[in-house]
Amino acid sequence: MSHARPVRSVETVDLTKAFGGVLALDHATVSFRPGKVNALIGPNGSGKTTYLNCITGMIKPDSGRVTYRGRDITGRPPHRIARAGLGRTFQLCRVFGRMTVLDNVLAAARGRPDVERARQWLRRVGIDHVEQVEARNLSYGQQKLLELAGVLMSDPETVLLDEPAGGVNPALIERIADLVRELNAEGKTFIIVEHNMDLVMSLSDHVVVFDRGRPIAEGPPDVIRSDERVLGAYLGV
Amino acid sequence: MSSGLLLQSIVLGVLLGGLYALLAAGLTLYFGIMRVVMIAHSAFLILAAYLAWYLHVQAGIDPMLSLVLTVPLFFIAGVAMQRLLLARLRPETRTMMSVLVTFAIALLIEGLLSYLFTGTQRRINLAYGAASLELFGARIAVVKLIAFGLAAAALGALYLLLAKTRFGWALRATMQHAEAARLVGIETDKVAAYGFGIGLATAAVGGTALALDSTIYPSLHWHWIGPLMAIIVVGGLGSIPGAAVAAMLLGLAESMLQIPFGTTWAQTVFYIVLFATLAFRPQGFFGGRLAQRF
Amino acid sequence: MGRTTTRRLLVARVARAVGLLALAFVILWFPAAAPNPYILSAAVMVLNYAVLATSWNFVGGFTGYISLGHGALAGLGGYATGLLITKAGFSSFVALATAALVVAALAVPLGFAALRARGASFVIVSIALVLILLLVFQGWASLTGGSRGLVVPRPFPDLLRPEHHEVFYFLFAALLGLVLLSWWLVDRSRFGLGLKAIREDEDKAESLGIPTFAYKLVVFVVSALFTALAGGLYALWFGDLDPVFQFSILSGSYVVLMSLLGGVRHLFGPLLGAVVVGVALEYFKVAYGDTPLHLVASGLLLGVVVMFMPDGVIPTVAGLARRFLHPPEASIREVSAAELEEARR
Repeated sequence: MSHARPVRSVETVDLTKAFGGVLALDHATVSFRPGKVNALIGPNGSGKTTYLNCITGMIKPDSGRVTYRGRDITGRPPHRIARAGLGRTFQLCRVFGRMTVLDNVLAAARGRPDVERARQWLRRVGIDHVEQVEARNLSYGQQKLLELAGVLMSDPETVLLDEPAGGVNPALIERIADLVRELNAEGKTFIIVEHNMDLVMSLSDHVVVFDRGRPIAEGPPDVIRSDERVLGAYLGV
Repeated sequence: MSSGLLLQSIVLGVLLGGLYALLAAGLTLYFGIMRVVMIAHSAFLILAAYLAWYLHVQAGIDPMLSLVLTVPLFFIAGVAMQRLLLARLRPETRTMMSVLVTFAIALLIEGLLSYLFTGTQRRINLAYGAASLELFGARIAVVKLIAFGLAAAALGALYLLLAKTRFGWALRATMQHAEAARLVGIETDKVAAYGFGIGLATAAVGGTALALDSTIYPSLHWHWIGPLMAIIVVGGLGSIPGAAVAAMLLGLAESMLQIPFGTTWAQTVFYIVLFATLAFRPQGFFGGRLAQRF
Repeated sequence: MGRTTTRRLLVARVARAVGLLALAFVILWFPAAAPNPYILSAAVMVLNYAVLATSWNFVGGFTGYISLGHGALAGLGGYATGLLITKAGFSSFVALATAALVVAALAVPLGFAALRARGASFVIVSIALVLILLLVFQGWASLTGGSRGLVVPRPFPDLLRPEHHEVFYFLFAALLGLVLLSWWLVDRSRFGLGLKAIREDEDKAESLGIPTFAYKLVVFVVSALFTALAGGLYALWFGDLDPVFQFSILSGSYVVLMSLLGGVRHLFGPLLGAVVVGVALEYFKVAYGDTPLHLVASGLLLGVVVMFMPDGVIPTVAGLARRFLHPPEASIREVSAAELEEARR
C-alpha cells in the first residue's frame, strides 16, 4: 500500500520530561523530514530513547507537544499512535517469545490477518524458512529481523528504529540497511536512533544530534560529521 | 457520637494502626527486595500467634517470651523461603507466580493449624489481661498498649537497621536497584535472603502482639491480608514510610467507622480506598519517589 | 508438502476427531453407568469445576492475567439468580440468564478497575474483590440472608434426587460444551492472537496497534458471563447459598490450580485439571471426612505445580518424555537467545 507523500512528519515542540531529579528531555524542538531517512544520534544519556518513548506514547511528557502529520498526538495511547501510522522497534529487541514466527507477524496485521502478506514480509526480511519456529528459539539476529517484519506488517507510514544495528553482525547490518533503502524508496519515512556512525553516515539523509535532552545540531550527514558542537558533545569537550 | 467514645476509637485506631504499620512494613520489604507479593505473611502472623498461645497454655510462658523462639525461627524460615522457593521462579513471571506460591503456603499453614488445633477460637488469658489504663480520658486495655509498644519497638528497630547499619544500607540499595548494588560489590543474593528473614521476623512480632489481645482461629489470616494489601498499595508499593502512613490513616478510619457501621462494614473501608487508589493514583499516595506501580 | 507429512496430518486429524467423540461419549454415557446418586452428584461438581476452570481460562490462558477472584463472579451469579427468583419472582432459567447478563454488565466497571493494574496488582485486586463481596453479602442480611444463607427454590421440584442430579449433569455438560466451543473459537481468531500477544509482551502488543485494554476488557466480560452462568446453575442445583462458600478465595484458587495443572494454553487443559483435582477432592472428603487436611493437600499441590510444572502437566510430561526418548543432538548451530539467557542464569 503506497502513501501519498506527506508534507509533515514527526515534529516535537518544547518536549520536556524529568525523572525524579534527572532532566531527560529539555524543551526538545525537532522537525523530522517526511519521506527521508532521518537519524537521531547523540552520546549515551542524551535522551534519545526517552524521546522515542514520548513520541510513541509509552511515556507521557511533562510538557510540550508531539505532532504527526500535523495532528497532535501528545500523550495519546500507544496503540492509537501506532494506528496513525507510526511503527517502532525496540532497543532490546522485543518479540512474542512463545508464538511462532508466522504468528508474531500475523499479530501485527490490521484487520483480517493475511497469511500471504505475512509470508511476503518474512520472505523479504529473509526468515521465511523458520516460519513455524517459536520466536524464543531464534538467534538474536533472526529476532531482530522478525521484529522488523512485524512492524512492517502493521503498514506504518513512518518507522522508528531504535538501534537497529545493536548486537548484530556486519552482514546483517548491511541487510537491514538495504531494506531501509528499499522501503524508503517505496515511500516510507524513517527515524533511526543509532550509535553506529558508519551506518548513520551511509544511510541517512538528515541527521539530528541530541545532547543532554535537546537537539544541538541538525543537517545532512557530512555537515554534521564535521560540526564542532557535535564533536564536543561526544568527546565531552 | 459522644466525645468519650470518639476519643476511645481514635486511641484504639492509633494502636491498631501501629500494628498494621509493622505488618505492612514486612510486606513492603518482600515486594521491594524481589517484587514478590507474599500472601502468606498474614498466615505466618497467625502462626506466630498460635505458637504464643500454645506455649502459654502448655508451659505458662508469657507470650512476650515466646518471641525468643519465634523471631529466630521465622527469620530462618524467611531465609529458607527466599532461597529455596522464590529465587527459583522465573524472573519474567515471578510476581504473578509468587502470589500463587505464597498463597499455597498460606493454605498449608491454615490447614496445619486447623488440623493441629481445630477451628475452635483460642484466646490467651493473662493475669494482666483485664487491666486497663486511663489514657487521654479513654479507657484502654493494658494488653493493647503492650501490643502497640511491641509494634512500635519493632518498627523502630527496623528503622534503625535500615537507616543506620551497613546491612541496612546494602538492603536499601538492593531494593532500589539490584544491578547497581551488585556492581558496587553488595552480595545481593545474601542480602535478599536476610531481608526476607527480617520481613518474616516482623510477622513473628506482630503475631505475638496479636495474641495478647485477640481471639485467634486458623482462617483469621484472611481478615488481615486484604487490609494489608490495600495498605501497601495505597501507601505506595516499595515504600516503607508510605506504608506506615497509610497504615495509621486506614487503621484510624477503620476504628472510627466501627461505631456507626459495625465491624463488618468498617472493614470495607480498606477495599474502597484500594479501588479508589488504583482508579485515580495507581502508584499510591505516600510513597514519593520510591513508590512504583506493579 | 511431502506425502508422509500429509498422511501424518490426516492421522492427527482423525485421531483428534476420534478423541473428541470418545470424550463426548464418555460424558454422555456416565450418568447411566454411575453406581449411585452420590457419585452422580460428585460428577456434577466436577463438571461445575470444569466449566469454572475453562471460563477462568479465557482470562488466565489468553492474557496471562491470573485472577484469584473468579469466585466473586461465580458467587454473584449464584446470588443474582437466587435473588431474582425469590425477590423478583422470575422463573428459574430466566433468572439464570438475566443474572449472567447482570454480572457481565457489572464486569465492565470491575474490569475497568482491575485491568488497569498489571501483574501482581491485578491479583491483589481480584483477591480484594472476593473479600469485599464476602463482607457485603454477610453484612447485608436483610437482602441476602447474611450468614444464614439464601435458599434457592428448585426449578423442577417434583424430581427425586437421582433424577435431579441427572438433569443438572446434562445441563452442566451442555454449558461445558458451549464454553469449550467459545474458547476454541477465540483461540483460532484474530482476537485470540491479539490476546496471546498481550500475554507475551503487553507493551509490545500495544506498540503494534493492538488496543490492549479493550481486548482485555472484552475477554474479561466473556469470562465473567460464563462464570456467572456456572455459579447460577450451581445455585439452581444445590439450592442453598452461603456467603462463606460462595465468596471463597479457596474455591477460586481451586479453579486456578485446575487450570494450571491441566495446562492453560490448551482447550482441554482446565477440563483435565478439573477432573483430576475434582475427583481427588471428592475422594479426600470420602476417605478422610471434612478435615482441614484437604487445605494442606491443595496448598502442596498448588505449590508443586507452580514451582515445577508451571506450564501444566501435559507439556511438562511431554517435555520429559521428549528428553528421554530423543536426547538433544550435538550440532553446530546458532545458540538461541533463549538458551543464552538460561545459561547466563
